[in-house]
Amino acid sequence: MTTTAVTSKIGIRDVRKVFQVRDGGEPFVALDGVDLDVREGEFLALVGPSGCGKSTLLDLVAGLTAPTAGEIVIDGAPVTGPGLDRGIVFQQYALFPWRTAQANVEFGLEAKAVPRRERRERARHYLDLVGLTGFEERYPHELSGGMRQRVAIARSLAFDPDVLLMDEPFAALDAQTRESLQEELLRIWDKTGKTIIFITHGIDEAVYLGQRVAVMTSRPGTIKEVVEVAFDSRAGDLRADPAFGEYRHHVWTLLRDEVAAAQVLERKAATARG
Amino acid sequence: MADQRSAPATGTALSEREPQELPTAIDRYEAPDGAAAPAGPVGAADLVEPAVAGEPAIAEESVVAGEPAVAPARRPSALARRARRVASRAATKSGAILLLLAAWEVLPRIGVFDRVFVPPLSEDLVVWYGLLLDGPLPEHLQASLIRSLSGFGLAIALAIPLGLLIGWYRPVADALTPLLEVFRNTSPVALLPVFTLILGIGETSKITFVLYACSWPILLNTVSGVKTVEPLLIRSARSMGLGPVRLFQKVILPAAVPAIFTGVRLAGAYSILVLLFAEMVGAKAGLGYLILDTQSSFRIPEMYAGIITISALGLLFNLLLLRIERRFSTWRTT
Ligand SMILES: Nc1ncnc2c1ncn2[C@@H]1O[C@H](COP(=O)(O)OP(=O)(O)OP(=O)(O)O)[C@@H](O)[C@H]1O
Ligand SMILES: [Mg+2]
Repeated sequence: MTTTAVTSKIGIRDVRKVFQVRDGGEPFVALDGVDLDVREGEFLALVGPSGCGKSTLLDLVAGLTAPTAGEIVIDGAPVTGPGLDRGIVFQQYALFPWRTAQANVEFGLEAKAVPRRERRERARHYLDLVGLTGFEERYPHELSGGMRQRVAIARSLAFDPDVLLMDEPFAALDAQTRESLQEELLRIWDKTGKTIIFITHGIDEAVYLGQRVAVMTSRPGTIKEVVEVAFDSRAGDLRADPAFGEYRHHVWTLLRDEVAAAQVLERKAATARG
Repeated sequence: MADQRSAPATGTALSEREPQELPTAIDRYEAPDGAAAPAGPVGAADLVEPAVAGEPAIAEESVVAGEPAVAPARRPSALARRARRVASRAATKSGAILLLLAAWEVLPRIGVFDRVFVPPLSEDLVVWYGLLLDGPLPEHLQASLIRSLSGFGLAIALAIPLGLLIGWYRPVADALTPLLEVFRNTSPVALLPVFTLILGIGETSKITFVLYACSWPILLNTVSGVKTVEPLLIRSARSMGLGPVRLFQKVILPAAVPAIFTGVRLAGAYSILVLLFAEMVGAKAGLGYLILDTQSSFRIPEMYAGIITISALGLLFNLLLLRIERRFSTWRTT
């Protein structure tokens, strides 16, 4: 392996994803020529207009779907399918409603054939980590939205994947819960050194969390620019830092044109259909 | 907060061990924790309570028995409040039935109904009691129960695996759905003569008929239970590396359990409903036979005794299945 492969955890190489449309129209190009390297232990935020293919890209990295062209490598090896080296946190929680919080967290450990006793301990540990001690025996419907999301995060952390793929995990939460979860996530990332790809619609959130912010273009999605975010210090209220405002504005400007383009595209598609 | 975030690569090496040494949950989560903890058992009890109208009193007792010393001052009032709530709910629920029973008793007596055709309830009950103690009722009941339960049991054993299979293999489901729809919308009763033609009028024919009728709700509910498993859950499980077999065992099956039980419960009701038809054609025992026989020989109170038995049996069976269903789907929101 070359030296670049060592520092690059996830390599997305000229990836294209085309969906066959059901009603026989022309094939739908969701992603085209996506090139992106995610470094080992990096926290990468991914933003882009709605429908630009962020979730599609995450599915590809997860191995749930295969790219039409190009390739995705993890630690230098091409992705051929899903695996426990990557954990996904879906936007809609995706907890198993017939399992308690504890049993949900144990799910990935069962898949990994971890012995029962260790499973239980690890699940408790990670529930504790996300602040859910005392809620182990609750079913998902007995938990609040934020708690469910934390169970989902604990579940993904519990089987100790190198890579955490998070698709707008905090989108459905209120501002307070979101902020506290953001801090928790940073803390966990800091402690565990996992590589994280974090999709979000929030520019603030992206700048706050990401070491780098990748901005995607409107459909067909590709990487428009990757913004390096570096603060002198993260002590105090980061959002009040003038540098925060500058990054924020920069990402906002990049996005503005793409969102406008996406809207034009959507309107065109609507009139073509109508 | 994470101020070393510009140097994540150095943190990586330590990552494996470190979570173990983490201080436990942040303080701010302990407040909701403490506040919510007592809500746990109460919430659970509330889930159970509406399930069985007659039962909460028992559940209540066990709660009190478990911790009699805890807060004795506050217990009784809470208990009383709950007892009142339960009582009023029971009254609401049984009001209509009591009204029906009262009408059954009174209307024949004041001459609105002919007492010969609709004897007052009390008379029917006396006859029913007599039939039960030293009459043919137990024998008929047994005959019916054996047929119902055999057909029902066989239907469960056959239709659940078949439904899982059909639901799981989409092409099979697509190919068979139109056929299943045709059968489902053909009343089994319409096919009763066919069963009699092919299998005669013996037990085999009757049990097969019940089996046939009970299979549809189980089969269709199982198929739809399997087919309607939330795709996101499947994706989620697949992302954790589950193969098809484990996926089926750990996701599809548990997700389909409530739907399967709904089917089983419906089938339970069917097993008694359709059996009556079968027993009205060429049977020498069974509740259906009893009702038809007493009606044609004009033993009207005995006929009502049969009807009451059937009705009670159906109710009881349904209640039993409902409880089992609840036990297996406590995780459902409703
Ligand atoms: N299975 C599919 N078949 C056909 N088209 C699809 C499929 N999945 C996604 N698409 C299309 O691909 C495009 C990208 O979808 P994707 O879900 O990746 O967008 P996104 O960037 O995650 O959007 P959002 O921010 O709204 O979640 C969309 O236009 C969508 O309609
Ligand atoms: Mg998306």
